[in-house]
Amino acid sequence: MVCALPLAVLGVVFLWPLAVSIAASFTRAGAFTLANYGTVWRLYLRDVGYTLGVAAAGSALTFAIAIPVCGWLRARAFGPVEFLLKVPLFVPFVVVGHALRVFLSPWAPGLAGSWTGIALALAWKHLGLAALLLLGAFRAVDESHLEAARNFGAGTARLTRDILVPMAGPSLAVSAVLIFSSMLASFSIPLMMGRGGGAQMLMIDVYYRFGQHGDFETAAALGVVGYLMAMGAALVYLRRLTPRRGGS
Amino acid sequence: MLMRALVLLLALAVPASAATRLNVAIGADVNVVEVHKTVLGPGFKAQVPDVELNVVGTGTGEPASRAIYTKIRAQADAGRAPWDIDVALVSMAVASQMVKEGLLLRYVPQMKNAALVKGAEVKEAFGVNVDGYVVPMFQNQIAIAYNPAKVPAPPKTFDDLAKWVAANPGKFGYNGIKGGVSGVGFTMGWVYWKTGLYKQLTQGPFDRSREGAIREAITALRDFNKNVLVTNGNAGTLDALNRGEIAMGAVWIDQLVAWKNEGRMDASITPVLPAPGLPIYPLYLVVPREAASREAAVRYVDYIATPEVQARAIVERFGWYPGVDADRVLPLISAKSRELLFKGVSADDLARYSRQMPIKEYHDLITLAYEEIVR
Repeated sequence: MVCALPLAVLGVVFLWPLAVSIAASFTRAGAFTLANYGTVWRLYLRDVGYTLGVAAAGSALTFAIAIPVCGWLRARAFGPVEFLLKVPLFVPFVVVGHALRVFLSPWAPGLAGSWTGIALALAWKHLGLAALLLLGAFRAVDESHLEAARNFGAGTARLTRDILVPMAGPSLAVSAVLIFSSMLASFSIPLMMGRGGGAQMLMIDVYYRFGQHGDFETAAALGVVGYLMAMGAALVYLRRLTPRRGGS
Repeated sequence: MLMRALVLLLALAVPASAATRLNVAIGADVNVVEVHKTVLGPGFKAQVPDVELNVVGTGTGEPASRAIYTKIRAQADAGRAPWDIDVALVSMAVASQMVKEGLLLRYVPQMKNAALVKGAEVKEAFGVNVDGYVVPMFQNQIAIAYNPAKVPAPPKTFDDLAKWVAANPGKFGYNGIKGGVSGVGFTMGWVYWKTGLYKQLTQGPFDRSREGAIREAITALRDFNKNVLVTNGNAGTLDALNRGEIAMGAVWIDQLVAWKNEGRMDASITPVLPAPGLPIYPLYLVVPREAASREAAVRYVDYIATPEVQARAIVERFGWYPGVDADRVLPLISAKSRELLFKGVSADDLARYSRQMPIKEYHDLITLAYEEIVR
């Protein structure tokens, strides 16, 4: 009974719309069909790979910056840097896309609209979230471990690499999943920065199918592909989130 | 999209105090919403005092019109009447779909200014007979804008344009087909030029055997695109032109004029309409079939179609081309406005090179070919 209300809310706000969009992806003119997935395969397969690539590159870049900085902040707390690192949390996606486009265009006109430009902007935006999650995980590591390592002469880089990262591994994995999934679903930044031609992020294709063609069905099929892409990452997250049975 | 529909629902649900409430949904940018709120609405109210206008904007581009369609379609499907939008401003694509689905009122014959509503685009849109259902609020033309300092001899034809682009790689820009209608329109103009099938593609009937010629034209466009900067939208093309990243680009004339008027654009950038032409794309005023205040809605559109109102609010103030009979509207505008309006693209150019969009089947075939071939 305790579960009834949360389950009902989950059913209405999540499962129902999900089921409707999955059903729409297998329908055209009221009849069952796989044609929408055929369109995705024919026209958007490259974009699926592109989206995975940009999200992976963006996530890697985010962690390449966040891990050493958060390691340094864990070892020697410094408020102003921590505050600056978290600023991107409060900057809207559209503003990040616009700001980086304006910033990059005069210096590197080709970069802003390229996959590297989009990955850079996504990394910038997600740095705040990564800092929030990583600092929490690093601070959960007991001080005695760090003290012991310091006694053996470990510097901040060594502490981060050999103590903080391994001990916060599960939390790092969960953070990576959350950030990667968010990047997969990004829309505003690619819309603001991307070009009208070439490979596109998947959400831009969803918008195009619906906005320009009124084609709900192919848009829904693209959405399902998006779910599946995020699902692999989400499974890792759920396995970490759910307590394991059997006393491990 | 759902959010847009919800915002629209909330905005239209606000109670009104006046005798007749007129809900006007504008599927266009804020400047068009402002014209209705600050110029057309008050002007109409001065003539018909017992009407209270409630003007709501739904965004920009095709999705803005689709938000209006989604709401009206939902009300029709729910079997609920009356519907709560009385006048809507929608794109050609959405208007033609609404006519096809029986969602609109055939109201133009009831207007005093019905005789001024003329031209091919009020008879047929994307192959659908829209005669009597639509009044263009204004016309918008796609043209090639160029920087005279960098392009001393602007292209008079698509052939000239293709040669110039081959000689100046990276200096021409347009927004492909995913960045808005101006890029779609440029693509259509390209296909008309390459195939020579303008009449067949715009008047139908649909003939699948034309696909080969269309795909050949799009293959040539793929090669053309190799020397082109594909921007992310009309504003992106104007921005690249203004910054000097490109020297020529396909743009909406109205946005070019608006940016120049606001001082946001190099004043020397000039539009030109190369033969055999580029599409003109009107925004249509329509009245939903079950609108609650149909009579007031028709009077409001009638007011907007008055030559004096068109001259003052549409042409003089915003630099748009008139939506109704230009022969009746243009004599009423000042010499200065006329010069601004026709600088680069003359009335004669418009008469000769303004092109219609193709019928829906060809439109979809061309955009599909673009996605498959150009990518």
